[in-house]
Amino acid sequence: MRLLAALGVTVLGVTAVAAQQPLAARLAGRVPAGVVVAVTALADSAAARGLPVDPLVEKAIEGGAKGASPERIVVAVQTVLTRLGRAQVALQAATPGVPPADAVEAGAFALSAGLQDANVQEVARACGPQCSAAEALRVAGTLTALGVPPAEAVELVRQTLRSGGKERDVLALPGRVEAEVAGGATPAQAAAGLARAAAARAAAPGQSGAPPHGRPPPRHP
Amino acid sequence: MLAGDIEQYAELVHRYRDRYARFAARMLGSVDEAEDAVQDAFIRAFEQLRQCRDPDNFAGWFFLILRNRCLAERRRVARAGPGPEAVVVPAAEQADGPLVQEERRRALQQALLELTPEQREVFVLKHVEDLSYEEIAGRLGASIPSLKMRMHRAYDRLRERLKDVL
Amino acid sequence: MTTVFHPLVKRFLDGELNLADLPPELHAEARAAERLLGAVDRAPVTLPAALDARVMSAVRRRASAPARRWWQRLAEPWEIRVRLRPWILGPALAAAAVLVLILARSQPPVPAVAVAAAPESVYVRFVLYAPGAHRVSVAGTFNQWDATTAPLAPAGAAGVWATTVALPVGQHQYAFLVDGRRWVNDPAAPMVDDGFGRRNSVVAVTAGAAGARAL
Repeated sequence: MRLLAALGVTVLGVTAVAAQQPLAARLAGRVPAGVVVAVTALADSAAARGLPVDPLVEKAIEGGAKGASPERIVVAVQTVLTRLGRAQVALQAATPGVPPADAVEAGAFALSAGLQDANVQEVARACGPQCSAAEALRVAGTLTALGVPPAEAVELVRQTLRSGGKERDVLALPGRVEAEVAGGATPAQAAAGLARAAAARAAAPGQSGAPPHGRPPPRHP
Repeated sequence: MLAGDIEQYAELVHRYRDRYARFAARMLGSVDEAEDAVQDAFIRAFEQLRQCRDPDNFAGWFFLILRNRCLAERRRVARAGPGPEAVVVPAAEQADGPLVQEERRRALQQALLELTPEQREVFVLKHVEDLSYEEIAGRLGASIPSLKMRMHRAYDRLRERLKDVL
Repeated sequence: MTTVFHPLVKRFLDGELNLADLPPELHAEARAAERLLGAVDRAPVTLPAALDARVMSAVRRRASAPARRWWQRLAEPWEIRVRLRPWILGPALAAAAVLVLILARSQPPVPAVAVAAAPESVYVRFVLYAPGAHRVSVAGTFNQWDATTAPLAPAGAAGVWATTVALPVGQHQYAFLVDGRRWVNDPAAPMVDDGFGRRNSVVAVTAGAAGARAL
């Protein structure tokens, strides 16, 4: 059951080979035996709730690699589990049904970056069918990690989507905020300015969703 | 002009290297982090030299770049949660000697890191860098009433946080 | 109940009032305020002299002609910044991304990336400025935090370490390990708390319709 759960929620960034190994085998030699037992129990709990398990294993492995104490590793893994649960609830409140595993993980990442549950819900709700909630949440989390206050980060993603922005426009937001910050704006100012520009585009008749400041979207050959 | 003159920029780096180091150290809580912030700010300032509208006021312009770097950094750390609680020695059990003062100094630095970046910034500029509200307003482009509001909230949070040592 | 300063004591803290201006019942509170200000660390801070050299080393590398700059950023290791950034490459993004892939594939992937690349992957160049380091590696969610699989090699200028890693499409957290004992973040990347008292750097790798790019 545990193995099936692990296979069923393959996480971006984890190789196919690693994902197929039993959990204990992945942790063996990377963390103390007591941590293996504790993480296995937490993973069982996650699987029972339909939450992805790989983030828990990754966090435990990370703790082992960084030489953290067993207690600290377990606390860190518990924190990941808590965030996954909160993200799942927030996503379900935004869109009925079972949220995809990558969206739950992205929501947990956004929470770790500083967004609140309501922010995760708002981003997911703003996404709709035209964009990936996982990508939107990763971008919102990244913006917050760059120093943009959570509310402004959410508003920027929301306005970009509302103005017809495509996924590439959303993905480009962290870089654009960094560019504004390099020019002397605070992260909050940068995000607010970009959000206002997106809102203006959304309000303008016949808007096309092109990025502001006249910069054409990247062209792929 | 400054752009393109590498050796002139080296002179600027040497001249202003320590000028805002104390501000960065108090904002970020450590000299190591201040060193990283100042280094990053100098490199970013060089990349943005063309946007320096008043080359004669490099110092003020550089300060804003460093300030943004510090504000962004502390927001990231703030969301990670406060660091370990500073050791607090109850006031009733102490004389006002140098050890107690050192403890109070450490407790205050830790408490400063628990303020919002905006509150910490105005406190550091006024009480560490000894700027007046007028000077702070001119540097940050903020109004004096808003600065005082931030400062007074900072005072209250610091008093609550340090009530056992003051 | 929260302890707050009386408004008059706040003005005293601001330097607008003296102790004599305050009513006697506020003197004790004012003395507490004085102790607070007395605890402020005003000691000057002197940064290490080596900072100048590090800054100028990075500055000299950036002082190339603007017309060549985007090409240089592709062909040479970045000083202390890492990865392609769309807002720097601007309209040449797609061509630049493809060029990076060509450049990366024209030489053997560096170095022992022990894990086979996922079907959708992007070569990402990691660069760290770490003068004085004897060995540097990058570890993260993409290699199960195994620092042995992605060592960096000295690259070009003194103190610069670099490697190119095939990353599966998705978001990854990572950090550099210096001399096998010190975890260092990418100063240019967004960071999140790692749950162990440190922070992880974050990179998002995406695949475009006809190419790939790293953010």
